[in-house]
Amino acid sequence: MKKERGGSIPPPTFVMKRKDVMKRNRKKEWIAGCFFILPSLVLLFVLVFYPLFLTFRYTLYDISLTSTRYLGWATYQRLFAHRMLPLIFRNSLVWTIVVVVFQFLLGLSSALLLNRSFPGRGLARGLVILPWVMPGVIAGMVWRLIYDPQLGLLNHYLRQLGIIAQPFTWLSHPKTALYAVIFSAIWKGFPFSTLMYLAGLQIVPQELYEAAEIDGAGGWMKFTNVTLPSMRPIITTTLLLTFIWTFNYFELVYVMTGGGPAEKSHIFPTYVYDLAFKRFRFGLASQFAVLDFLFLLVFSLLYIRTSFRREKSL
Amino acid sequence: MKRKIVGYYFITYLLLAILLIFVLFPFAVMLSMSLKAPDEQFTSPPYLIPHRPNLENYFHVFGQGSMFARYFMNSLLVASGATFIVLGVAIFSSYGYARLLFPGRGFFLALILLSQLFPLAAIIVPLYRIMGATKLIDSYISLIIGYLTFSVPVGVWFLRGFFLSIPQELEEAAMIDGCSRFQAFIRIVVPLVRPGIGATAAYLFFITWQEFMFALTFITSESKRTLPVGIFDFVGQYETNWGNLMAASVLICIPVFVLFLFLQQQLVGGLTQGAVKG
Repeated sequence: MKKERGGSIPPPTFVMKRKDVMKRNRKKEWIAGCFFILPSLVLLFVLVFYPLFLTFRYTLYDISLTSTRYLGWATYQRLFAHRMLPLIFRNSLVWTIVVVVFQFLLGLSSALLLNRSFPGRGLARGLVILPWVMPGVIAGMVWRLIYDPQLGLLNHYLRQLGIIAQPFTWLSHPKTALYAVIFSAIWKGFPFSTLMYLAGLQIVPQELYEAAEIDGAGGWMKFTNVTLPSMRPIITTTLLLTFIWTFNYFELVYVMTGGGPAEKSHIFPTYVYDLAFKRFRFGLASQFAVLDFLFLLVFSLLYIRTSFRREKSL
Repeated sequence: MKRKIVGYYFITYLLLAILLIFVLFPFAVMLSMSLKAPDEQFTSPPYLIPHRPNLENYFHVFGQGSMFARYFMNSLLVASGATFIVLGVAIFSSYGYARLLFPGRGFFLALILLSQLFPLAAIIVPLYRIMGATKLIDSYISLIIGYLTFSVPVGVWFLRGFFLSIPQELEEAAMIDGCSRFQAFIRIVVPLVRPGIGATAAYLFFITWQEFMFALTFITSESKRTLPVGIFDFVGQYETNWGNLMAASVLICIPVFVLFLFLQQQLVGGLTQGAVKG
């Protein structure tokens, strides 16, 4: 406020008025808030949290299409001794970690590339998003065609390059099936990381680059000392999001291998679905689902805690 | 100096070419197969560019005995139904979460985030049994309800970001001038956030249009199938009709690609703003 000579002037009246209005509304605010969010809360509880509660309860039962039998906590003993559990867990971890790491690397490097200035940049940015926009089922079918031993172009090109001698059945060999799907998943999902990191690059303060240049920093120094630290929050968030989404990503594995061959490429969501709707073992399916949920919950909490702590100490 | 500029463009376009080949190759495969006549589809070795490109597969997809047009309408109905319902609910809630101070706000926001943590496979079993018990199985309604489970949280989260990006002073000014909170919301805020509402609608349509798991589980009769499940008509037990399948795939991609083309700016804004702001 401007200070004038000769006595104090009262503060402008509109400030008081505004404060008064806001205070009077505090109580109304509570009621309004409830009304505004009520519909979504009702939907959320009826459609999401109540079914989730049911899933937790189902884990204590042996449920088939015709009968329901209470087994209690003994079911969890059976779950932890289940012959598929180690494989599913390992597959899920390999699947998620490899996909997330490569989406990070590819997303960051393509964002850096698309952040350079060159004619046709807008078009290039639009084209790079396309895989992410393609419906998952269709992406799965197209990749099945690419991997196909007779019709697929992958085998053909690899043979021309002399890398393989005979067409290989990428999706029906137990050693390669999961990795073939992983490759497609990286292709399908990395544009999301590109989008996030492109947005992140826009908010890196330009003065920092200038300051680094004055200090004599080269391109790599600028990248590790300015770009990466400034983008830390967005990288942290993107990694967590892609981790959760990939861990729960159902369509690609289901469409491309169906968990096969011989159930060797199942991950949590596909195995849960198989148990429930191919074998109608609803109880066991619920147990695997709950395990999936609890793992992600614990992982996310730990991740958020450690990354926050690191940010505070910076 | 000039040499440096040439070098810069050379490297940029070289890397770009590599990236675009990787990104676009599957699209080329899809388009190529969709344009091949049957005798070209099964040649060995396969090749990418059709010798005699024609639209036969596309006519087949819409031809006699094909359910594609029906599936298309089903998808349109279910996706737009879910989108409208979610928008109606989410516009109010996301404003509440963005602006109003009420007890438990943080807790409820955390619940919305929590709902993203479990796989849809985890709640599909109870939902399936509830649908079965209420005789809703194999109806459009069951599918729309299924879609609400994941699109309500997404819609609320998306729109909240757009509401946060609007300066609060505008509503406060309107309220000082005698508007109620609700009037200020309807008259001032909603018109301002219209581009954000459009982007959210597009994103909701995008995720419901391609949903597969609920569509596979809840719909049992052929006439109510949606596209992502319907394209498996072309996958036989012994043999897959790749030409028709890829033509259908191209047609399914078109609506979402067009949506993205027109709303790219707002959509990217909606997807990234939450994370950028921390």
